Amino acid sequence: MTPAASEQHAYADVDVLRRTWSSKPGLMGWLSSINHQEIGRRYILTAFFFLLVGGLEALLMRLQLARPENTFLSAGRYNQIFTLHGTTMMFLFAVPVMEGMGVYLVPLMVGTRNVAFPRLNAFGYWIYLAGGLFLYGCVFFNMIPDAGWFAYPPLSGPQFSPGKGVDAWAQMITFTEISALCVSVELVVTILKMRAPGMSLSRMPMFCWSMLVQSFMIIFAMPAVMMASTVFLLNDRTLGTHFVNPAEGGDPLLYQHVFWFFGHPEVYIIFLPALGMISSILETHTRRHIFGYPALVLSLVGNGFIAFGLWVHHMFATGLPQIGEAYFTAASMMIAITSGVQIFCWLATLWSGRLQPTTAVHFVFGFIFIFVMGGMTGVILASIPLDLQTHDTFFVVAHFHYVLIGGALFPLFGAFHYWFPKLTGRMIDERLGKLSFWILFVGFNLTFFPMHWLGVVGMTRRVYTYIPGLGWGPANLMATTGAFLILLGGIIFISNALRSRTAGARAGNDPWEASTLEWEAESPPAPYNFANLPVVTSRTPLWTPLAERPIVIGMREDRREILITNVLDAEPHHRSVQPRPTLWPMLTALGFAIGLAGSIFAFSWYYVASVLGMIGLIGWFWPERPLRVDP
Amino acid sequence: MTERRTLDLSGLPPYDISSQSPLFWGQVLMCVIEGTLFCMMIATYFYLRLGVDVWPGPGIRPPDLTLSSWALVPLLASCGGSYLASEAAKKNSRSGMLLGLSINLGLAFVFLVLRGIAWKSLNFTWASNAHGSIVWAILFLHSYDIVADVIMTIVLFIIVASGQYGPRQRIGVHVDSVLWYFLVGIWIPLYVVVYWGPRLIGGGR
Repeated sequence: MTPAASEQHAYADVDVLRRTWSSKPGLMGWLSSINHQEIGRRYILTAFFFLLVGGLEALLMRLQLARPENTFLSAGRYNQIFTLHGTTMMFLFAVPVMEGMGVYLVPLMVGTRNVAFPRLNAFGYWIYLAGGLFLYGCVFFNMIPDAGWFAYPPLSGPQFSPGKGVDAWAQMITFTEISALCVSVELVVTILKMRAPGMSLSRMPMFCWSMLVQSFMIIFAMPAVMMASTVFLLNDRTLGTHFVNPAEGGDPLLYQHVFWFFGHPEVYIIFLPALGMISSILETHTRRHIFGYPALVLSLVGNGFIAFGLWVHHMFATGLPQIGEAYFTAASMMIAITSGVQIFCWLATLWSGRLQPTTAVHFVFGFIFIFVMGGMTGVILASIPLDLQTHDTFFVVAHFHYVLIGGALFPLFGAFHYWFPKLTGRMIDERLGKLSFWILFVGFNLTFFPMHWLGVVGMTRRVYTYIPGLGWGPANLMATTGAFLILLGGIIFISNALRSRTAGARAGNDPWEASTLEWEAESPPAPYNFANLPVVTSRTPLWTPLAERPIVIGMREDRREILITNVLDAEPHHRSVQPRPTLWPMLTALGFAIGLAGSIFAFSWYYVASVLGMIGLIGWFWPERPLRVDP
Repeated sequence: MTERRTLDLSGLPPYDISSQSPLFWGQVLMCVIEGTLFCMMIATYFYLRLGVDVWPGPGIRPPDLTLSSWALVPLLASCGGSYLASEAAKKNSRSGMLLGLSINLGLAFVFLVLRGIAWKSLNFTWASNAHGSIVWAILFLHSYDIVADVIMTIVLFIIVASGQYGPRQRIGVHVDSVLWYFLVGIWIPLYVVVYWGPRLIGGGR
């Protein structure tokens, strides 16, 4: 049923709303918070901390490779550092930071008060934090993984990787994947069931579309990596199963298949939210509707599907049947179509709009340049004869840094500048922002462009040093210099953010005159997001005159009431009451974390995890108080 | 401030126990995640089969078909209890919910006993060979899920029996049934793979 809009004037009582939706004060309040803004901020800050850690690891590697036969790092230490670098960047930075942006922005963009499952959201963050602390905790006890971020057996098996490092790696995956799965479930439900009245799927912001597709990809991809790392690898190592042991009927290639069935979609899991960010930034800064909205949405969905049909292109050198390889070459090239459609839509938007060249837009341009470069080397690598020549060389290292840093990090930095006023209530300094962009852009290309050449002339990846006389020294030194430029850009970026947080100009609700709902909320938003829930009548709600945009009244303010709408047209269906803040998600995560950490030593610790986790879940779901049924 | 038009939603129901509820959607997605994991296990089973000549391996008896087939009867019947409970939850009938949950729990318990006996009769472990590893993994994960859901159902039973429940717990009963249908439904292909697999695609070359 859809009640008719009426003319009465009744605005919400924001004092009551604030009391209802605020977290408790003090440390207990901090630990028990289930507010999506707070959890989203924690995700983003924690992920940026791990970006710094992963970046420092990269610098150590670059120092070692700066000249031939360098002795700065030993071979073993180098193995550990590149493993930690890849693991940190993929599992502890890239996915969580995108999840954090989604957790923070999606409820604001769809016009609701919180994510669908706020306690699950808090649990997801705590388990992610526990995973990061677990991995680096193991590092301090010298249990350091050293078999690469994808830990192929037999190298990572019990025979060639004794010690507990690989076990720590395998179980860290479990932590971060549980976290990603929690976020994806709650975002899908938030996006499909909690959109503002009138926000039909065809009026949904592009960023929400990208998070929706990304969340479904996580749901289908992440179980595969838990299968590979925990069921196969960890059990083979600690329990004596034979999944990847060829002597007893297992197969190391099975691990590669299952890992890359996750690993390739993973790239798009990181990349799709970035596409949504770019569409948001461009729409605002060109002052026009994004060009080709249906084509962009279909390309996103197409990317989501095709990404699951590419995994074997990571395995061209493993001797698989050629007919299969040919199929995966075709599929790998096909994804250039959906990616290309998006690039052309953005170019058309830029062409026909009135562009304001802010820092965010600079980062988008950086993305277009770098990502197109990475995409072209991707087409090269999709071709089997060329792939066989460059497999496991620095050419591949250059390729995936171009697509990942270009495709995800640059848009993310752009998004950070774009949404900074919403997060903090202050404008970020544009001058320093542009300076950091140029340094990062030059530094990035200086670091990674020479690697194409190094790969082509034969420098394999993961070598801790090389002999003089090969002519590789200058290019490596150039790359190392570039890495330090990236560090400088990063320092400027961080200091700009820290300074602007307190000293930036006041932003107001909508400093960019943007089109989407999050800019209607205060900056930073109140704990209830919107005093009255908005009603949406167009794809660009904030560009619709105020008089044509109704607001929702009649929701209860004295309890955490949210509005549930239907999937396609977002017609109001019923109201629903959300649970209050509690410590249980944190305690449940702690219980699971203790058990999972123990499980790298003995399988029986899974039972500890189960019992502690179950106690936590029972506390979590136990009725808070006798609930009243009255409306 | 300009006068805004308003949309009065005070007439909407304050809760809903159906497939429109967010918790229902969350539960379905959790089932999809778990289902994906089971699909990976089925794929692994066949992949490992392709790699060896003798399946399930020299000296290894195929898992016993009789008991595991009989165990399907209480398992499928237990869905009736879940259905009763979830319909009673929609109508807010406490006795109906208790009856449905009891039937569900009783039959689930019978199933678990039969599974335990069938499991004990295996003449291989996870460490025997790759076949043993994947069969034990499937049995372990599915049993783990079943036990976890049974414990949560017991907790729900206690909450409903104590009378200290409201709409949210009734939605809980509803989605608990959804999870149970999934766990029963996914067992059918898993049962076929584990128990019929060695008979249909097994043997030595």
